[in-house]
Amino acid sequence: MAESKLDLLQGTLDLMVLQTLATMGELHGYGIARRIEQVSGDKVLLNQGTIYASLVRLQQRGWISAEWGTSSNNRKAKFYSITRKGRKQLSEDAAHWQRLSSVMGRVLAMQDEGGDQ
Amino acid sequence: MIDWLRQSLQRLRCVFRRDQLDHELEAEFAAHLDLAIEENLQRGMPAEEARRQALIRFGGAQQAKEEHREARGLPALDILFQDLRYAVRGLWKSPGFTTAAVLTLALGIAVNATMFSMVSAFLLRRPPGREPNRVAVVTSVNPASGFQADANPVSAPNYLAWREANDVFSEMAAADQYRTVSMNGQGQSVTAGQPEALRAAAVSPNYFSVLGVSPRLGRAFSDGEDQPGRDHVVILSHELWEQRFGSSDSLIGRTIRLDRENYTVIGVMPATFYLLGFPHQLWMPLTLTTADQTAAARKDRSLHLFARLKSGVTLEQARAEMVTLARRAGESFPETDKGWDAAVRTLPDFLVYGFGIRGAIGVMMTTVGFVLLIACANVAGLLLTRAGGRRKELAIRITLGAGRLRIVRQLLTEGLVIALLGGSVGLLLAYWGIHFIGASLTFNEAISAVPLSLDWNVLVFSMSVSLLCAVLCGLAPALQASRTDVNTHLKNESRAASPSRSHSRLRTVMVTGEIALALFLLVGTGLLFRGIFLIEHQNLGFRAAHLLTAGVTLDKATYKDSAERSLFVRNLIARLKDVPGADAVAIGSDLPATGPDSVTLRIKGQLELPANQRLTALDSVVSMDYFETAGIPLLHGRTFTETDNGTSPRVVVVNEKFVHRHLQDQEPLGKQIQLDAGATPQWSEIVGVVGNVKSYSEASRDDPQVYEAFPQRPVPSFSIMIRASSDPNGLASALRNAVAQADADLPLARMMSMPALIERQQGGDPVFVRVLGTFAFLALVLAAIGIYGLIAYSVGQRTHEIGIRMALGAKTPDVLRMVLREGMKMTAIGASIGLAMALPLPKVFDAMFYGLHIREPWLYAIVPAAIVAVAMLATYMPARRASHVDPMVALRQE
Repeated sequence: MAESKLDLLQGTLDLMVLQTLATMGELHGYGIARRIEQVSGDKVLLNQGTIYASLVRLQQRGWISAEWGTSSNNRKAKFYSITRKGRKQLSEDAAHWQRLSSVMGRVLAMQDEGGDQ
Repeated sequence: MIDWLRQSLQRLRCVFRRDQLDHELEAEFAAHLDLAIEENLQRGMPAEEARRQALIRFGGAQQAKEEHREARGLPALDILFQDLRYAVRGLWKSPGFTTAAVLTLALGIAVNATMFSMVSAFLLRRPPGREPNRVAVVTSVNPASGFQADANPVSAPNYLAWREANDVFSEMAAADQYRTVSMNGQGQSVTAGQPEALRAAAVSPNYFSVLGVSPRLGRAFSDGEDQPGRDHVVILSHELWEQRFGSSDSLIGRTIRLDRENYTVIGVMPATFYLLGFPHQLWMPLTLTTADQTAAARKDRSLHLFARLKSGVTLEQARAEMVTLARRAGESFPETDKGWDAAVRTLPDFLVYGFGIRGAIGVMMTTVGFVLLIACANVAGLLLTRAGGRRKELAIRITLGAGRLRIVRQLLTEGLVIALLGGSVGLLLAYWGIHFIGASLTFNEAISAVPLSLDWNVLVFSMSVSLLCAVLCGLAPALQASRTDVNTHLKNESRAASPSRSHSRLRTVMVTGEIALALFLLVGTGLLFRGIFLIEHQNLGFRAAHLLTAGVTLDKATYKDSAERSLFVRNLIARLKDVPGADAVAIGSDLPATGPDSVTLRIKGQLELPANQRLTALDSVVSMDYFETAGIPLLHGRTFTETDNGTSPRVVVVNEKFVHRHLQDQEPLGKQIQLDAGATPQWSEIVGVVGNVKSYSEASRDDPQVYEAFPQRPVPSFSIMIRASSDPNGLASALRNAVAQADADLPLARMMSMPALIERQQGGDPVFVRVLGTFAFLALVLAAIGIYGLIAYSVGQRTHEIGIRMALGAKTPDVLRMVLREGMKMTAIGASIGLAMALPLPKVFDAMFYGLHIREPWLYAIVPAAIVAVAMLATYMPARRASHVDPMVALRQE
């Protein structure tokens, strides 16, 4: 592998799932996994199977709900959708991540400048 | 918080819906793959490739499933269930081992649960009423030492003074707990028509409110009902109401005859109102008159004081206050109160202390605790043996990636399953055990009034004991497994070498421990057995056989003064003498061996001593033929005669011990002594000396004793004693008739033969010791089995080594000696430890059981010898087998 894929930090997958469901509406597990892969430009190291642990965790916290249904091409699948509580959590977590990544960005940028001097 | 709770519940639910959830998850996975394959196909991949890619992208399905389970459930609980399943399966496969282990533990747990039912019934049961711990019981402390001298009742003048003077109690009540009231034949009863003696208490009107209880029917006493004229009201116990009055509600307000007078029933107490050791059948008001405030009344100590602590006042403060008040009384009335201190206890504490069963229960619980330890050691040994056979399996599991912690946890789970099974079977056995003990403990009303049952306390206790066993049993094999050396075991050479050092050390500790405990128990039980034997076979100082006894209390209403009481007794004795088959008849305030009261005294011509160092002696009032009837030998002088009556000079008879202790063996006849008994102390002349009589049938020591002549101090309450020419019980109806002729309404209490009386008085001790003996024997058998098992195991482990030794020329006796030596070394160490533990036992028993004084050095030789013999036998059998090993077989054995 020329360029190694990003290993997911603890908790980041949960946030990605929430965000995906928030923007895409009701979706089955495969759809969520595919969407994340597509959005990340296949940069994320994701065994699609691991998505299910994340889904059950979110479900138990009451952030998403699930229901068996039929997919567009007539297959039985479990569909997940985000709850009100989940949206609230998503906005909090997203804000937290944005703050964290901007701080990280600045810190790393400072080090670069320091290296130039 | 709510979220957290909800999540935990969800997780818990997931653990139990495991199969369904797994199934659903698999369906979801299948749908996922189908969707992926379909998309790949649409992209134009060939069918095979589409499927391959989908699987690759999905990753490990098993891993995803595990992650899912972990995320949704409680992983720890899952593992526990897995271990439980595994343990149960493993145990099921070796039924012999399982049965042995479960039964051993069941026995240990059963005896513990059975004994704990006594703890629960006698020590843990809360007395009835509101906040019993805030009720204090005030008693006097007798400066003359004696049985429970610090729980002596209080005199009426002190009660009245202390009630007014104290600042620590919100209310104080008094109760005279030991009254006997005769109820004339009425109500429904098999003995209807015959007067019956009832156990009664005279209580101040506020007694029930201080305790915080109210009647189930009717009302409690009200203020002023302790005044003469209004005091003829009575409250019945539930038992009496049920048995004699058919639980009739209309009884309230009706009149019943008690002590030949009319009393109005005003209430019935609930069945739950029972104070340990005071099985009262009825309560009447305690009337205190001016006569109860005289100096003479100070000597009559008959009241227990019950008082509710003011809020915020501690027991310590109350104690300090009462001690101050008692000292003040001692200063104001040195004649009667000097040296008498006060003691304050909480109600539960007082009841348990007064009942005097704590020591016996302590000994029992210690014993069964040790039996349990031995049982645990045995089961641990069994598990160890089993683990030995499974070492290869464990090694494989470790190699395959099972964590050591996981293995330890699994072995502990196995212990847990055995312990829980043992606990369940043990509880079943305990159910019968408790029945049995309950049926054996019937030697007096106070004991049999306390029901033993398998209650929550016992259940919780047994549960905790089982869990403790699980840890104790599982720990040894688990520790061992955690040290498993994978390489050796996989190479199949585990048996080639002798067992590792740490391994055999563990075993040594277990064998020596079992031997030490068994020896300790046997010595302890032996001592108690010997003590009880000595007491049962001691010379009591009189002839108990052929004596019939009964108690009589003359009521004040009919027998107003000394003269009337004397007259009645003279009349009664004359009638009794006419009974055919009665060889001799006497009465006495106390029967021989029934514990008379102790009085202080002074001797003319001897130095006056301070009150708390005054000489003491036991004091009985007896009729003329008392000594002859009881068979107490006269040693010097004379006994009482017709001429020793109310008007003649006072005379007393003393026992041998009195002459020895108080008169330093000087000539006793003619000496003048003054007893602090009766209304007006008078000087009395010693006219005779008789042999010593045991003051209690269970006490092995002799105390100084004084006998007064009945006509000179006619006490209202006394016992009749008849010597029969044959079976004393044959005279029972004749005695009843004779008393009825003298006074038809007078009830006879406690009619029984002297041997029966003695047995009843010794109470539980013989029963306790027999039960204890059973336990000690059980311990010995268990220990023998344990020793056998562990030695046999160790020999089995060394079969290979023994084979090599024999191939190299060792002879059968050499091998035998080698194995025996190992066993004997452990036995010797264990026996020494056990002996050291048992050395202070006689002192401990002296402190615990009043009057028991045993020193039996030979026990310390015989018991270890017996233990060594048993251990030798348990060692010899495996040793013999080992010495007959065929070297070829042994060497080939893996």
